[in-house]
Amino acid sequence: MMAQPVPHQTPDKKRVKVYELRNNDWFDRGTGFCTAAFVTIEDGQPKEPRVIVESEDHPDRLLLETKIVKDDGFQKQQDTLIVWTDNGVDMALSFQEADGCALIWKFIDGVQQTFQSVMGGPDDGLSDDIAIEMPAAIQLPAADLGTLCELESNMRIMSSTANGRDALTKAIMSDDYISKLIPLVEIAEDLESLPDLHRLCNIMKTVLLLNDTSIIEHAVSDDCVLGVVGALEYDPDFPSHKANHRQWLNSQGRYKEVVRIEDDQIRRKIHQTYRLQYLKDVVLARILDDPTFSVLNSLIFFNQVDIVQHLQNNSGFLNDLFSIFADPSEEQLRKKEAVLFIQQCCAIAKNLQPPARQNLYNNFLSHGLLRVINFGLRNLDVTVRVGATDILVSMIDHDPQMIRHTIYRQIQEKQQPLTDTLIDLLLVEVDLGIKSQVSDALKVLLDPTPPGGPPETRSEFIIGQPRGRPQVAIDPQQELFLTHFYEHSAVRLFKPLLDLEKRAELRFNVLHDGIFGYLNDILCFYIRQHQHRSKYFLLQHNIAQRFNRLLSCKEKHLQLVAIRFFRQLVVLQDDFYIKHLADKQILGPVLDVLLRTMPRDNLLCSACLDLFGLIYKENIKELIKHVVENYREKVMALSYIDTFREILSRYDQSQGFTAVVEPYFMEPEDEVGRRPMNAGARGGMMEHLTVEHQSHQEDYLNTSDDDDENHARPPNQALLSNGNNTTKPLVEYTSDEEGEDSGGDSVMTTGADQPLPDDHAKENQAPPTTPGSIAAVTPPPERLSEKRRREEDEDDPIDKLQYHKRRNSSVSSTNSAVSVGSTMGLRKKKAFGGSRDASPNRGGPKKIAISISSTIKSITAKSSTSANEDSGK
Amino acid sequence: MSDLDRAIAQLRACRPIPEAEVRELCHKARELLIEEGNVVTVTAPVTICGDIHGQFHDLMELFRVGGDVPDTNYLFMGDFVDRGFYSLESFLLLLCLKVRYPDRMTLIRGNHESRQITTVYGFYDECLRKYGSANVWRYCCDVFDYLALGAIVLGASNTLSPSGDGEAQGSEEDIEIEVCNADGQIMSQFPRQPRGAGNSINRQPPRGRSPNGPTRLPTNTGPPGSGASGSSGGSIGNPAGAVLCVHGGLSPLIDMVDKIRLLDRKQEVPHEGAMCDLLWSDPDEIDGWGLSPRGAGFLFGADIVKVFNYKNDLSLIARAHQLVMEGFKEMFDTSIVTVWSAPNYCYRCGNVAALLELSEDEGGLGIFARSNGDVNRSDGGLIGGGSGVPGSGPRGVLMENDLASLKPGPARRYRVFQAAPQDSRGMPAKKPVADYFL
Repeated sequence: MMAQPVPHQTPDKKRVKVYELRNNDWFDRGTGFCTAAFVTIEDGQPKEPRVIVESEDHPDRLLLETKIVKDDGFQKQQDTLIVWTDNGVDMALSFQEADGCALIWKFIDGVQQTFQSVMGGPDDGLSDDIAIEMPAAIQLPAADLGTLCELESNMRIMSSTANGRDALTKAIMSDDYISKLIPLVEIAEDLESLPDLHRLCNIMKTVLLLNDTSIIEHAVSDDCVLGVVGALEYDPDFPSHKANHRQWLNSQGRYKEVVRIEDDQIRRKIHQTYRLQYLKDVVLARILDDPTFSVLNSLIFFNQVDIVQHLQNNSGFLNDLFSIFADPSEEQLRKKEAVLFIQQCCAIAKNLQPPARQNLYNNFLSHGLLRVINFGLRNLDVTVRVGATDILVSMIDHDPQMIRHTIYRQIQEKQQPLTDTLIDLLLVEVDLGIKSQVSDALKVLLDPTPPGGPPETRSEFIIGQPRGRPQVAIDPQQELFLTHFYEHSAVRLFKPLLDLEKRAELRFNVLHDGIFGYLNDILCFYIRQHQHRSKYFLLQHNIAQRFNRLLSCKEKHLQLVAIRFFRQLVVLQDDFYIKHLADKQILGPVLDVLLRTMPRDNLLCSACLDLFGLIYKENIKELIKHVVENYREKVMALSYIDTFREILSRYDQSQGFTAVVEPYFMEPEDEVGRRPMNAGARGGMMEHLTVEHQSHQEDYLNTSDDDDENHARPPNQALLSNGNNTTKPLVEYTSDEEGEDSGGDSVMTTGADQPLPDDHAKENQAPPTTPGSIAAVTPPPERLSEKRRREEDEDDPIDKLQYHKRRNSSVSSTNSAVSVGSTMGLRKKKAFGGSRDASPNRGGPKKIAISISSTIKSITAKSSTSANEDSGK
Repeated sequence: MSDLDRAIAQLRACRPIPEAEVRELCHKARELLIEEGNVVTVTAPVTICGDIHGQFHDLMELFRVGGDVPDTNYLFMGDFVDRGFYSLESFLLLLCLKVRYPDRMTLIRGNHESRQITTVYGFYDECLRKYGSANVWRYCCDVFDYLALGAIVLGASNTLSPSGDGEAQGSEEDIEIEVCNADGQIMSQFPRQPRGAGNSINRQPPRGRSPNGPTRLPTNTGPPGSGASGSSGGSIGNPAGAVLCVHGGLSPLIDMVDKIRLLDRKQEVPHEGAMCDLLWSDPDEIDGWGLSPRGAGFLFGADIVKVFNYKNDLSLIARAHQLVMEGFKEMFDTSIVTVWSAPNYCYRCGNVAALLELSEDEGGLGIFARSNGDVNRSDGGLIGGGSGVPGSGPRGVLMENDLASLKPGPARRYRVFQAAPQDSRGMPAKKPVADYFL
């Protein structure tokens, strides 16, 4: 190894952090002490100017050793920062003290000045090498079995330093050393010399992990690739194994050419790309380091861009390709392969920049892509159906509006719209993948919100708050499309559900009962998105009852589907659905399910308890009332469970007007009156409310939704139990509306945390209604979750994932979201923010946001991962 | 049934089973898992394992070291998939064993058992590569949604069972912790010491024992026992206290184990909330709760763990989720332990892996009424009553002297093992894409 650096002119050791830019994030390489000096590298060679950082924790370990080179472009920024580029990697030193930074900078600057004066201005890289006397002329031993041992150790040593790697790279490329090594593999194989083969493998690994683009490109060229992977077949880590890379790569049949690609260079690129992928996924998978991984990825990416660009501009090629589908005499196999070819194009297109992608799709569409999709979706061969679905979904991901226009046109022309084709496919398809993609497609296509806008906020909201996008106003086409859908297609789509009514016996084939899960998914999405239309549909077809039927079938996962649906209706806290649930007597059967399963602690139980827990926590009094009044016996039977005991007691106490209210907690009556109607929305922290809360909720429960009733109600019922204050409440009645827009639960929380003596109550009324004071007294756990939500606003988990995908081990990033260029990614982010902003309540929308995220996620999963591959380039 | 055995044999040879068989397996598993509570009750003896991460050959090594199924009763704490190259074979084998021996195999969910995470960290790609479509991935993800969120181990003994080779068995000492190597030879033993007196295996000094007590303890409620004190709940026949197993850790939304039972777990792991926290949180040297650098879940300190254990009559929390170079790591006066079962993680981290064995209480007291399926709710209504009824506040009070009387942990045997020897496996590699057009 290299000798420990001898300080020549020693500036004081300075404490410093070393950073390296990895995938747009500054990666912390550690803290250490920095020195800058001329260092002896090899005896007899002139000393080199170097910056060295020794690790603070392990003084014998170097965090950084970099040679000061003229074109590295060292810069001093602010008082404590030095940045430069080392072998194409952006590096930074962040000093603890400005003095230390200044000292090191003085040295670096001095060296660089010297370069400038010696060279006399800008120069090419060659003279640069001479100037600093880099060990450019290292000589690799002649490639020969006898020298392998020496070569292996030399290479290992050299590859451990940046300079050594540079020199090695140059030597290998200039001597075409790879080509010299390759024949040795066969010689060693002939001699059956396993040690030599192991050495060759190690050498080849070192060469590839030098992480140099030109070396890797050379290694996968037609001339070299078999030799290179041949050497890598003998991994000394697995001495008793031999891989069969050559055999795999050599079989010509793997390349399918549907339509001849005339351009040799493009064809070569296609093969090269495949080899690069093979190298990445198979040969080097276990040993890849981050830089090599990203070099391989970018090589693959740029090749793919070239290939797709070439193809889409080649209209002769596209004509040939798409005419395959027009020709009835064409054999099925060729059509199948053509679909798969287009599928692969679309998969690659996901990595392209949006304009290029748009171009590709436009070209495809103008050549007749829809015919291909229609052909594919109805094909008997499942791979073709998968292919067609993939193609369709990738276009929907890119721009659903494009497909919606097509469907609109089909409707106008009285053709069967694509949505109906998808519906038919969903209902009969056995392939789970197609089913779930089609189900996602049916959601996205019927999402009435404009692209880029928050897809999950209510449509009224969109109208009210244009987002500065051209399509913001509700698209008349979209309206018509939706109307048509509910008039003609919805019944078709939800037929299995509607048919439940007629079915005498609920027996399902395990292959087909999955449909209810998808239909539930889709319907829940529609309910959130299509306000009045979905309500009408639900009412007209008595959908809740249909789901209710599922509760009586024996498959528990189907019962779960039904409970999920009811939960969605509760979560929305929409009076219509709440009333619907009560009218249709839905909760009784759910209680029955619970009673039936209850001795056991299983998933069905948890789901039911979750539903009733939600009703209790959100204080949906209509349903509490409904449950207790109609199913008191059942609730009593379950009252050994906290949730049900609490539901009972909340109902009973409020009903009997017998609540004992602690005197100090007495609030003026108007506090009760001013609580907004939907005050129930609160997070999961309700359990922590104290008895005082309880009594307030009881009061609240008695206040009716209707303002008039509110006034008509005996105003001082709560006071009956407490004679202390008798007159104040009535006086304050005027302030009814004032509280309408404050979060009701928060008001109550405030009250609990700051019990007010009644004579101070009047003065203190105002503060509890201001949002600021609410936040100040929220209990700690709530604050935590809030804090986290805030954090997510800046950096939500999807972005985190993308960040991780780039194989960065650091987790402290905050700017990872910046590089995400995908529109879907953006959409999702907005969906988070939008839905949160849209609602004044805390708890309820939080839950909705969760379900949103999962839906959108499933839709965007593919596009977002591809987006981050994009950004990883 | 022979079909299942054949599938097990095939998977043990690290060969994937056909898609149709995966579908059938997943349907069977779903029927089974749907009957499990969110917190499964497991009775000792049990062998607890941490992350596997698709390192199939190391999983086989784990079975070699820990004993084969069904001879050994296993509990896996999630993260079966991603990172390694054999997520598919590893998960399907575990699932097959679960279906074949439901009572001898418990699987709980880890943060990687999620659609979102697996699309990024390898399982999705692996399925795509091995089957040419993502269907198998979808079947598996459906099963993920049904996996339990945690487990409670009851009836664990305060003394170790013989470790097999008889060495040092005659010792009079009351052994609390024993560390063995892969061949069952004892590497070190630690006698039981008074709780909180510190333990040589502790890497952290005991904390929060100042006369003033830990800072975050609740102080606003009545005397101990005014609710039902923690010890009255589970002491019946559970001398060593129960052990809670969960992939990540605790949640600020969950103060009682029974609250976990109220979650509707059949869903993708959410980005926040109790379910998310259980799968994502990490213990850390902090007071109270902290934000997690992972972007999901929380960090929680010793005070949180101790209060939680006290209130729930737990002697120990076993969790996974974090790489520990030594395979296991006890923290906070041995109130929580991290178990990691993927040796040489990602084929390059150089760590060893560990299993945690809890032995059965021979006194016959180890059997506890609370078995999987039937409820602790019947008593949850009484004991847990304190927590649910508004006004009573958190149940019991944790006084300084209560901390000292926290349940002693069960006797623990850690078996430490290394990555499977190279020759027992093929070269770990991903399967290449077969045909290509572009």
